[in-house]
Amino acid sequence: MADVADPIVVGITVLYFLGVIAIGWYSRQKMKSATDYYVAGRQIGSVVNGLALESTYLSPASMLGLPAYIFILGYPFWWAMSAIIAGMPVATLLTAAAMRKYGPTSFADYYADRYNDQNLRWLVGIIVCFGAILYITLSIVGMGIFLLAILRFPYLYGVILGAIIVMIYVVFGGMIATSWNAAFQAVLMTIAAIIAAIGMINYFGGLGGFHEAVLTNNPKFFNTPSDPEPNHILAGTWLGVVGWFFVWHYGFATMPYTVVRFFTVMDMKTARRSIFWCTLFAGAFYLGLEIIGAGAKVMIEQAHPLVVSGEVKANALAVLKYYATNYGVGTPLDYSMVAAVEALQNPWILGVLAAGGLAIAMSTAAGWVMVVNVLVTRDWADMLLRSNFAKENPVLMARIVSVIFLAIGMVIAINPPGLVLDLSGWAFVVIIAALGPSLILGLWWKGATRTATWITAIVMFVLHLFAWLYAKLVVGHHAFFFLNPILGLPKTAIITPHQIWAVPVGFLLFIVISLLTKKPEEEVIDKYCVKLTEKL
Amino acid sequence: MPWPPKIFWVGLVLYYGFVAICWIGEATAGWNHIPLAVEVYAALLGTWIVPLIMSVIYFYFPEKAEEAGG
Repeated sequence: MADVADPIVVGITVLYFLGVIAIGWYSRQKMKSATDYYVAGRQIGSVVNGLALESTYLSPASMLGLPAYIFILGYPFWWAMSAIIAGMPVATLLTAAAMRKYGPTSFADYYADRYNDQNLRWLVGIIVCFGAILYITLSIVGMGIFLLAILRFPYLYGVILGAIIVMIYVVFGGMIATSWNAAFQAVLMTIAAIIAAIGMINYFGGLGGFHEAVLTNNPKFFNTPSDPEPNHILAGTWLGVVGWFFVWHYGFATMPYTVVRFFTVMDMKTARRSIFWCTLFAGAFYLGLEIIGAGAKVMIEQAHPLVVSGEVKANALAVLKYYATNYGVGTPLDYSMVAAVEALQNPWILGVLAAGGLAIAMSTAAGWVMVVNVLVTRDWADMLLRSNFAKENPVLMARIVSVIFLAIGMVIAINPPGLVLDLSGWAFVVIIAALGPSLILGLWWKGATRTATWITAIVMFVLHLFAWLYAKLVVGHHAFFFLNPILGLPKTAIITPHQIWAVPVGFLLFIVISLLTKKPEEEVIDKYCVKLTEKL
Repeated sequence: MPWPPKIFWVGLVLYYGFVAICWIGEATAGWNHIPLAVEVYAALLGTWIVPLIMSVIYFYFPEKAEEAGG
């Protein structure tokens, strides 16, 4: 394997970096107020917001992790990816249109207003900050891995370079720069996945040849739980397949970094239309990733330079272990996407993949930074702590907060503990389970109460963290139901990816406590529940 | 009590119904073993076209209703 990257790959990456910095600089000139910084002056159109939604929502876990999941679990995992995309339109009428009608500034606004309790800004903020640090770290690690594996750029410098470039454009242009850059990044990452998938299909002489090659390489790849020998134990039962299907399905409707994007658009019509654009591009992107994930094993074993040169035997896992051992960062499976595309031996495709990979990582980091800088500056410092500094210098303080969060993520990313990266998977589900019920039911059920919001958020946060860690560290995998051993069952008896049961349990807990506790005042319910959900 | 518009439920039935039919087809008739079938129903339709149709009806019909309501 070459120690120096192809000049074409380097050139495309440099052009990408210059592009995002230029957008950040240009956006700075458009920014005139704190509202511009926090929510882009509510002037973002449907195409830009749709594209920004795609690149912000889909993190490096999509680009590096999902093809790896297909590599391990086989075809049934395609349905998990289908459900992620279908979760986007579901959000249109469930939360997005109502949230834009309401028009808040920060993610915590709705909780504080609907439940008439300003202290909820603390609770929501703390849970969101946990998720933000984990996701920002994951994104910076993703940048480092892409720069290392494709450009042979030392990991430490890659992490610092990636974090600094995100800092530059977030600090310069706030939500305006974040939105336009995220749109640019969405186009790039979608093109990267489609081009790589087409390259792979062409390599095998068309879709028929591709299907045949995958099947010959792994005869169990397309098996489902109804076949005698499923491809993998984690997708070996229909309960497991259904668990994977739902684990990320409702994230788009409830995750802070997507919900706040609906605050930035011009009106409700734009909010609804932006989801069409998001689904169009994200669906195409995932279609590409499904092909790449399915073809990764056979592609690596037939055409990877390490295999062709005889340096490593024709075994995909051996090639991926070679990457992980040589680079000393991440797990072998983190490299499945890069190794599969590298096997095409086309510097143009590899260059676009490098830019696309950096794009998906940077947009997610920037999206989370924008959520927490508004929460910390406006909600905590200004509204709750009554800080004069935050009141008089909101943009400056938001910029300082952005730098602090990115610096924390960068420091952790320099030598990332494996558990921290795994925990980003936990963070995603815990936010749906802890904060999702009070957001969705707050809109659609007059009976939702303040006490239920507090108790559900705290209980589900702690319970899900315990269950996830117990499943991972004691039972053996985060996808094994944590109570399997306590129920006297084999550890693999019930498969619950990322302890997905937490989502229905969170909703149930919220409903039960709401039924037992006092509702907020009638006018509050009318304003933030009934009126917001009329004529969506 | 607030209730999502009818079109919301139409979209849900469309998508979950499509997924349920595919899974039943796989479990009973082995659709997943028909060459190129999964590429069509799970990847092209399930991951792209059906969600896209949902996103279209979710903006098209509310906009029509707004226009009709003035």
